[in-house]
Amino acid sequence: MSVTSSDSPAASELAVSPPRRRRKLQAWEWAPYLFISPFFILFLVFGLFPLLFSMWLAFQTWDPSTGLQGMEWVGIENFKFVLEDDWFQKSLYNTFWIAIVSGLPQHLVAIPLAYFAHTYLRKHRNTVVGVYFLPFITSTVAIALVWNSLFSRDYGVINMALTSIGNLSIAGMHPLAWLFPTSNVDWAQPQYTKWMISSLVFWRYVGWNTVLYLSALQTIPRDLYEAATIDGATSRQQFWHITVPLLRPMMFFAVTLTIIGNLQLFEEPFIITGGTGGINQAGKTAAMHMYNTAFVDSDFGTASAVAWILFLIIGLMTWANNKFFAQKD
Amino acid sequence: MTVTHRLTRIAFGLSFGLAFACAQAATTVTVASFPSFDEAVKAAIPLYKKARPDVEIKLVSLAFGDHHNAMTTALATGTNLPDVMAVEVGFIGKFAESGGLEDLSKAPYNAAQYRTKFAKFTFPQAMGGVGNVAAMPADIGPGALFYRKDLLEKAGISEADLTKSWDSFLESGKKLKASSGAYLLSNAVDLKDIYIRTGLKDGEGIYFDSKGKVLVNSPRFEKAFALAKAARTAGIDAKIAAWSPEWSEGFKRNQVATQMMGAWLAGHFAQWLAPNTKGNWRSAQLPNGGFASWGGSFYAIPKAAANKKEAWEFIKFMTLNKEMQIEAFRKLDAFPALVEAQNDPFLDQPIEFLGGQKARQLWKVAADKIPAVAVDKFDGTAQDIVNAELDKVLEQNKDIKTALADAQTQIEKRVRRKK
Amino acid sequence: MAAVRKRVSPSRWLAYGIVALGGVIMLAPFWFMFVFATHTNTEILSVPPPLWFGSAFLDNVRLLIEKLPFFWRNLGLSFFIAFSVTVLNLFFCSLAGYAFAMYHFKFRESLFAVIMATMMLPAFIFMIPTVLIMSAIGWMNEAKALIVPGACGAFGIFMMRQFIGTAIPKELVEAARIDGCSEFGIFWRIVLPLVTPALGSLGLITFIGAWNNFAGPLVIMRDMDMFTVPLALRALQGTGQVPWGAISAGSAIAVLPLMVLFVIASRRLIEGLTSGAVKG
Repeated sequence: MSVTSSDSPAASELAVSPPRRRRKLQAWEWAPYLFISPFFILFLVFGLFPLLFSMWLAFQTWDPSTGLQGMEWVGIENFKFVLEDDWFQKSLYNTFWIAIVSGLPQHLVAIPLAYFAHTYLRKHRNTVVGVYFLPFITSTVAIALVWNSLFSRDYGVINMALTSIGNLSIAGMHPLAWLFPTSNVDWAQPQYTKWMISSLVFWRYVGWNTVLYLSALQTIPRDLYEAATIDGATSRQQFWHITVPLLRPMMFFAVTLTIIGNLQLFEEPFIITGGTGGINQAGKTAAMHMYNTAFVDSDFGTASAVAWILFLIIGLMTWANNKFFAQKD
Repeated sequence: MTVTHRLTRIAFGLSFGLAFACAQAATTVTVASFPSFDEAVKAAIPLYKKARPDVEIKLVSLAFGDHHNAMTTALATGTNLPDVMAVEVGFIGKFAESGGLEDLSKAPYNAAQYRTKFAKFTFPQAMGGVGNVAAMPADIGPGALFYRKDLLEKAGISEADLTKSWDSFLESGKKLKASSGAYLLSNAVDLKDIYIRTGLKDGEGIYFDSKGKVLVNSPRFEKAFALAKAARTAGIDAKIAAWSPEWSEGFKRNQVATQMMGAWLAGHFAQWLAPNTKGNWRSAQLPNGGFASWGGSFYAIPKAAANKKEAWEFIKFMTLNKEMQIEAFRKLDAFPALVEAQNDPFLDQPIEFLGGQKARQLWKVAADKIPAVAVDKFDGTAQDIVNAELDKVLEQNKDIKTALADAQTQIEKRVRRKK
Repeated sequence: MAAVRKRVSPSRWLAYGIVALGGVIMLAPFWFMFVFATHTNTEILSVPPPLWFGSAFLDNVRLLIEKLPFFWRNLGLSFFIAFSVTVLNLFFCSLAGYAFAMYHFKFRESLFAVIMATMMLPAFIFMIPTVLIMSAIGWMNEAKALIVPGACGAFGIFMMRQFIGTAIPKELVEAARIDGCSEFGIFWRIVLPLVTPALGSLGLITFIGAWNNFAGPLVIMRDMDMFTVPLALRALQGTGQVPWGAISAGSAIAVLPLMVLFVIASRRLIEGLTSGAVKG
């Protein structure tokens, strides 16, 4: 996101150049500061101050009902506890599990889909992309509740579909029984909860990534493909040798967004597990762990430490992703 | 002009009238509660209106878990607090220790004088570590067994078969499964939950003793886990979690034949769990001669409440008024904590949902035998950990002894930090 | 099939089929949401579940109102909050975007970099301190606690700066200034009318984001009459008896406005959302 430099210095300065010293401040000199001030005022009050406060809080033990004087400095004890805490570790494991299982397929589906839509669809492109994109704009809560009913063990559509495939009988054989369940799956069980959450996350964001890749594809000049066609390259070769390399910057951007988004996953697991994290906390993400530590256990100091550790991890992953994509250039 | 003038006068008169009305009902007492315990407050509103026309009762109700989370946050931040806070027994230990509730033992409340008026075990549960009284008991939950008379009879199983011993209970389950395909239990976890609540000594908690020592790695839990495991192995539980959507469907569709919980469950059954099975259920004492306390609710006043005086008046109405206690008993089968209400002839009335059984007398017997169970602020944490370990035992065949030892270690670790 | 010009290979047909099947899967949850909204609980919880519309929609709405007595109020509050946030964002973000695009002033680049940097801050990190601050200033359980902090978003400033920078010639601003137009007058009377397409995109994005916001109301709102729609719907969970028909009806009501907005303006919405990605 480079800042464009072509527009400086502003034309206004050249046209009306005022005397240099002891001049009256002109409106166009102070106005921009006024115009951008709302953001900074709001950010100072509701952004920076809370951030600093939460950073401070991460080093305290505090029962808020005792007031500010009830704070007690404990140094890095909160961080130490969180890092050694098996609940936090488990939530972090869940977070990464869901991030990968829901995130990777998003891109593996979105890139070919965007390519397909870009190359082969004309009239119906917007409709098709719109259909895939629709989940992105819908209310997570509403749709996660619907998810719960679709994944109901005894009465859910998902189990019905899966078992009917699993029990598909061709000449007395069940050719798909090894891959699909033959009896209803209890999605609330720890080994399945994360699949259920991941499916929702995948469903919600695959269209968003498709749209991102599609917008990048539209910037690739058509004559590159035409030249390749003349040179006798098949469309598969064109995909791998023109499209994929030119999509690299967008892949970096989209994967970064996925990492940042998936590592702070909160609403989807929260609704699906009813706020508890599920049996044996199998569906509890790190952000949920932070929420529970603060708002169920009233341990705001430790919860702040969780928040900052998670923040550092997200920063680290973003940096690693940056390295990964930069390396191959 | 006259029209305008008249309008002004009307408007003036109206606002005056409104102001007057406001002055009349100046005090609003906000009560925060959860279903179905909030039904008691709903029932109380018209009655209280008669006694105190100058007081407006505003009920704020959230789902069970949401309510207690919201109250935790409210107590922590000192905002959004109601005047009267309903607290379930699973949270009373935590809330009593939080320091955010009024000490009702002090003036002007002097609640300690009422101690003898309540079932003997319930008052101490609402007391914090320093002898403070954090809440007033409203109802208690004598543990009871509910069973489907029709389904069991068809399978040739009698009430005595269920209650004689745990072994005969499990045997009945197998018999039922074999003859009709129905499950005896909704979930094997229920057996663990009821067993760990039985056979407690006075003053001992479910998970902690009075000194805060963790009691999980003990024969009581071992037996409880073994029972649950045996039920799961025998295939007599429907593997349905309590309070899940499938739970209610299991009862409605005659797939689950018994449920053990607090006596208050009868109210849930009749209202929404399985209203269509009315008349087919009966209540009995727990198997193997056990008596357990399951559930119970309290009312507390937050320190930061706006209207403590009226809050206290309302709490007294809800907890010390015999008529009100009976009303709650009638409406939602909340077994009264008030001894006076327990001895009312109302207990002899038949319960329609239970096929005319006079089950309240049965629950009274149980209530008298329940030991005084101590609560601890870490009960919720301990329960989560124990349930997670039990799930491993049931689903992944984890060894019971190892599971309990692990649970014990995990609980101790968490408790030590927060002390 | 008149659109097919060239010979279409079997593998292409396979691809069309897969994409179409994927589309069906993407739409299926919505389908079931609307179908379930018209069925009773018993009908939904049966094998097989209903696949076509039933007749219980009004009953479900009635049940929804019974379980959530403030649902219409919740809907109104959601709309009020989303609308307020949108209007404030449109004004403040375009104002700031205009300043960044059209003025040359000291620290411009670094101040803009600060704004961009705040976009990298994950939302959850504000959750705890926001609650504590809102408690301290007495804004808990009030709509303004959700409106004011979100009144000027970094993304909006970025987007409006990009758009104003490319769409408005500097000479235009200059000419207006020579004509004696005030600085705010230039923005209000000349720039703003020219960037209405971008305002439309930003408005849609902001409205949808605010409408769907869950974590914010979750920690701020306490009373059911102050819940927003997502919060109210969630409150139906955990009551033991989950009224699936009513939940689906409520969900459909919560999602429908967005779907209508999307159908009307999907192209603009998508363009707005990706503007940062493409031009950045």
